Amino acid sequence: MSWLEKATELVSRKGFRKGWLGFVIVFFLLFIIIPTVFVLSYVFTNWSDIQNNVLNDPQAMNAIWAAIGNSFEIAAIVTVIDFVIGLPMAWILVRKKFRGKQLLDTFIDMPLVVPTAALGFSAVIFWGVTVPTVPYHWGLELVSSPFILIVLLHILFSYPYMVRSLSAILGEIDQTYETAGRTLGASKLTAVRTITLPLFRAGLVTGIILCFARSLSETGGTFVALATLSGSTGFNTAPTLIQYYKSIPGSQPVLAFISILLIVLALVLLVAVAVIVKKMHLPIRKIWPRPEKVLSRGFAPKLKDVTSIAFLIFIVLIPSFWIFTFVVTSSSSQAMDWSTFLTSLAYSFAVAGIITVVDLALGVPLALYIARGRGKRLPEILDVLVNVPLIVPTVALGISLGMFWNPGGETTAAISFVLVVLAHLAFTFPLMVRNVTGAVEETDPVYEETARTLGAKPIQAFRRVLYPMISSSILAGAIMAFTRSLGETGATIAVAPDANTAPIYIVNLIKASDFYSAAVACIVLIVISFAFMLALRRITRKRREAN
Amino acid sequence: MPRIRLEGIVKNFGDIKAANDLNLDIQDGEYLCLLGPTGAGKTTALRLISGLTKPDKGRIFFGDKPMNEVEPEDRKAVMLSQTYALFPQLTVAENILFGPDIKDLSEHDKEKTLNEMLEMVRLRKRPDAYPRELSGGMQQRTALARALASGAEVLLLDEPLRALDARLRISLRHELRDLAKSLGLTTLHVTHDQEEALVMADRIAVIRQGSIIQVGTPAEVFDNPASPFVANFVGQSNFFVGDVIQKREATEVQDDSGHSVLARPGGCKIGDRVVVAVKVGNTEISKEGEGFFEGTVERVLFEGRNLHVDLNVPNIGRYSSKIPSWRLGKLMPGDVVKIKWSADKARVFPMPEKGLVEELKVE
Repeated sequence: MSWLEKATELVSRKGFRKGWLGFVIVFFLLFIIIPTVFVLSYVFTNWSDIQNNVLNDPQAMNAIWAAIGNSFEIAAIVTVIDFVIGLPMAWILVRKKFRGKQLLDTFIDMPLVVPTAALGFSAVIFWGVTVPTVPYHWGLELVSSPFILIVLLHILFSYPYMVRSLSAILGEIDQTYETAGRTLGASKLTAVRTITLPLFRAGLVTGIILCFARSLSETGGTFVALATLSGSTGFNTAPTLIQYYKSIPGSQPVLAFISILLIVLALVLLVAVAVIVKKMHLPIRKIWPRPEKVLSRGFAPKLKDVTSIAFLIFIVLIPSFWIFTFVVTSSSSQAMDWSTFLTSLAYSFAVAGIITVVDLALGVPLALYIARGRGKRLPEILDVLVNVPLIVPTVALGISLGMFWNPGGETTAAISFVLVVLAHLAFTFPLMVRNVTGAVEETDPVYEETARTLGAKPIQAFRRVLYPMISSSILAGAIMAFTRSLGETGATIAVAPDANTAPIYIVNLIKASDFYSAAVACIVLIVISFAFMLALRRITRKRREAN
Repeated sequence: MPRIRLEGIVKNFGDIKAANDLNLDIQDGEYLCLLGPTGAGKTTALRLISGLTKPDKGRIFFGDKPMNEVEPEDRKAVMLSQTYALFPQLTVAENILFGPDIKDLSEHDKEKTLNEMLEMVRLRKRPDAYPRELSGGMQQRTALARALASGAEVLLLDEPLRALDARLRISLRHELRDLAKSLGLTTLHVTHDQEEALVMADRIAVIRQGSIIQVGTPAEVFDNPASPFVANFVGQSNFFVGDVIQKREATEVQDDSGHSVLARPGGCKIGDRVVVAVKVGNTEISKEGEGFFEGTVERVLFEGRNLHVDLNVPNIGRYSSKIPSWRLGKLMPGDVVKIKWSADKARVFPMPEKGLVEELKVE
C-alpha cells in the first residue's frame, strides 16, 4: 500500500472525519468568533474603568460620539450612493450585450486592486485641497470638507462590492417573469420596478452589508486622506480615533469602549437593515402607467446608462488611479528607502500567505459542513456566525482580538507577528467560507452521492468530483483573502501598531511627509495586486469556458 | 449478487415519516419496481439501501450481512439518479473508469474494462465525448456502464427514464431491464409510472406513506390489488360503496339508493359496509341491454386504440370506461348508457377506516 492510499484510508475513517470536523469547528469558534467579540466582555469585567476614564471625561466622550457619528453617517451615505448608481450598472452588466462589455466588467473590479492606503492618497490629490507640504498641483482642488472627501474615498472601494452583489442576484433572476409582465401590458419600467426589483432583496442585503461594513472598517486610506487634506485636524472617523488612542499609553478603556460601540451598533444596524429589507415591500405597489411608459423609452434609459458609466469613469476609476500622476509629476526630496519597504512587503506577504493557507485548510471543510448541513441546527448556527467578523469593523476586531490573546500588551516582534496573523485570519476566514459555501450550495449533492455509491471514499468523492466543480470559487476566496490581508491597515494597527506591514509602512511615510516614497510604495502594491487579479480572472474565465 | 432485506425501517425527517416500518425483500437477481405516488418514500428507500441515508430504526441486510454500519462506498450498490449525475468535467471514458480509478486497477485492467463496457452499451465511437454532448439515451447508457465498471452488484435506479422523451422512454424500458437481468444484478427501480412498473418488473412493491402495502408480480398487483388505493393507483378503477346483501357464486352489494352490483366472492360477511372496485377497462357500457345502473356520457376522448369515456352516474358519482375505438361516433355526450361488469372482474374491500376519499388520495 502506498503512503497515499494509507493516508486516504486514514482520513476516511469515521473517527478521523468526526475528529477533524470537531477540530475545524472548535478552531472557528476559538480563533475566529470569540476573539472577534471578546471585547464585549470588557463591559462586565472592567465597567469601573470605562466609567472613570471614558464616561466621566466629557472631552473624550465628545470626540468619541463625533467620530462614531461620522463613521455611521459616511457609511450610510456611501451605501445609498452605491446602490443608486450601482443598480443601473449591474443592469448593464447582466442584461445588455455590447462590444467592450468584458472590458467594463474588468473595470468594475479595478479599484479592488488598489490598497486602501493608496486609494486614500489618490483620492485626496484628485479631489482635495492638500496640505502645503504635498508637492503636487495637478488635482481638482475642489473638496476641502473632510466629510465629503471621505465619502468620495469610500465610494471607490465599496462601489465594486455593491455592483458585484447586485449583478450576482440579477443574473439568477429568471427574466420570464418580467417578460410575462410586459406581455400583460406593463411598460418596461413598471415591469422592472414591480416584478424584478422585489426579487432583488437578497442581493441588496448582501450589498448593503458589504458596503456598510467596509466603510465602517476602513482605516488606512481614511487616515492617509485626513493626514494630507488641508484643514482636517480634529476630524476623525471611529477607526482613525482608535488609531489615535492606540498611540497614547494607558488608553485601554477608551479603545475598548469605542470598539464595543462599533460592534454593537454595527450588528444591531445591519440586522435591522436585513429585517427591514426583507419584510418591507421595497418598491411602491402603485403604478403610474403614462409617466412610466414615457420613462421606459427613448431619452430616459439612455441618460441612465450614460450617467452610470460616467460615474464609474469619473467618480470611481480616475480618482482611484490618479496616484500615478503624482509619481510622474513630482520628484523625490529624499531617496526612497527600498530595503525597509521590501522588508515590509515581505512581512505582508508572509502574513497573507499564512492566512491564505489556513483559510484554505480550515475554511473549505467548514464551508462544506455548512453547505451540506442545511436544515440541521449546528450548521445553520455556524452559517450565521460566519457573518459576524464580516460585519464587525476590522479596527474593533483588532482591539478585541488583542485583548483576548495579548492582555498583557507584550510587544516583541514575534508576538506582533502572531497577533497580526491571527487578526488577519479572523477577517479573511469568512470571505473564504462565504465564497465556498455559495459554490457548494449551487452544485447538486447527487454527484458526490453517486461517486460514493460507485466506491469513492468521502475524500475521494471531494477530490475527484466536487473539487473540480468548485475550484474556481475556492481560488477566488483565496485570492480575495490574500489581497484583503495585503491591503489591511485597521486591524493591524489595532492589534500591533509596531508590526511592519506594507500598508503601515505607507501610513508612516505619509506621517513623515515623505509623499513621493509613499506613492511609489503604493504603486508597487497596486502592481502586485493587479497581477493577482489578472491571474484570478484568467483562471475563472477558463473554468467558465470549460464548463 | 446479494438478496436485499429491509426489516422494520423507520426514518423521519422532522414530522415527515419517510419510512414507517418499511419491510422489503428483494431476491438475488430480481428486478423489483418500487411504485408509489410522489412523497411516498421511494427515494428514501433507495437511499437507505445505498447507505446515503441512515435509518432511525430497523435493519438492512445484503444476503446475511448486516449493512447498517457499512459506508456507501463499500456496498457495491450503485445509485443512478434521474439526471444520471455523469460528472460533467470528465469524458465518457473517464466517467466509466471512475470506479476502477478509485480502486487503482492496473492500466491493462482498466483498458480491458473500458472496452468491454463501451462495447456493451454501444458507445465505442464516443469515448472522448463530454456528457453534455451526448443524447439522453447515450447519457443513460454511459451512467449504466459507469455503474457496472465499478463492480456494482446492486443497481438502484431512481426514476431512470423520467428525463427522456416519450418514445425513447418506451424503447429503453426493455433495454434497461434486459441488461440488468443478463448480468444477474439485484435491481430496485423506483418509479411513479404504473405502466413502466407493469412492463418492467419481476415484482412490484407498492409504497405509500413510508410503508409497503403490496408486493407481487405485475399481474397479481393489477388483478388482485390489496386495497382500493392499489386498485386505483395501478390501473385506474371505478368504485361502488354499499352493503353486502348476498353471498353465493358472486357477492351482491347494494348501496343506499337501491342500486346493486355483483363482485367476486371475498372475505366479508352479509351486512358489511364494503367498497367494490373494478378497473375502467373492465367497465362495460352500452345503450341497450342490461346494466347495474345508468349513467350519462359527459365526454368521449379519443386515445388511438381506445376511447376513454367519462360518465356521470346520479347518486354514485363519476365513472370512466375504456371501449374500442370503432365505437367512435356511436356514443355522444348526453347519451344515457347502461353500466355493468362481469362479477369476477370486480373486487370487494372492507370500507377503509378513514373513508374512501382519504384512501384514494394521491399525496
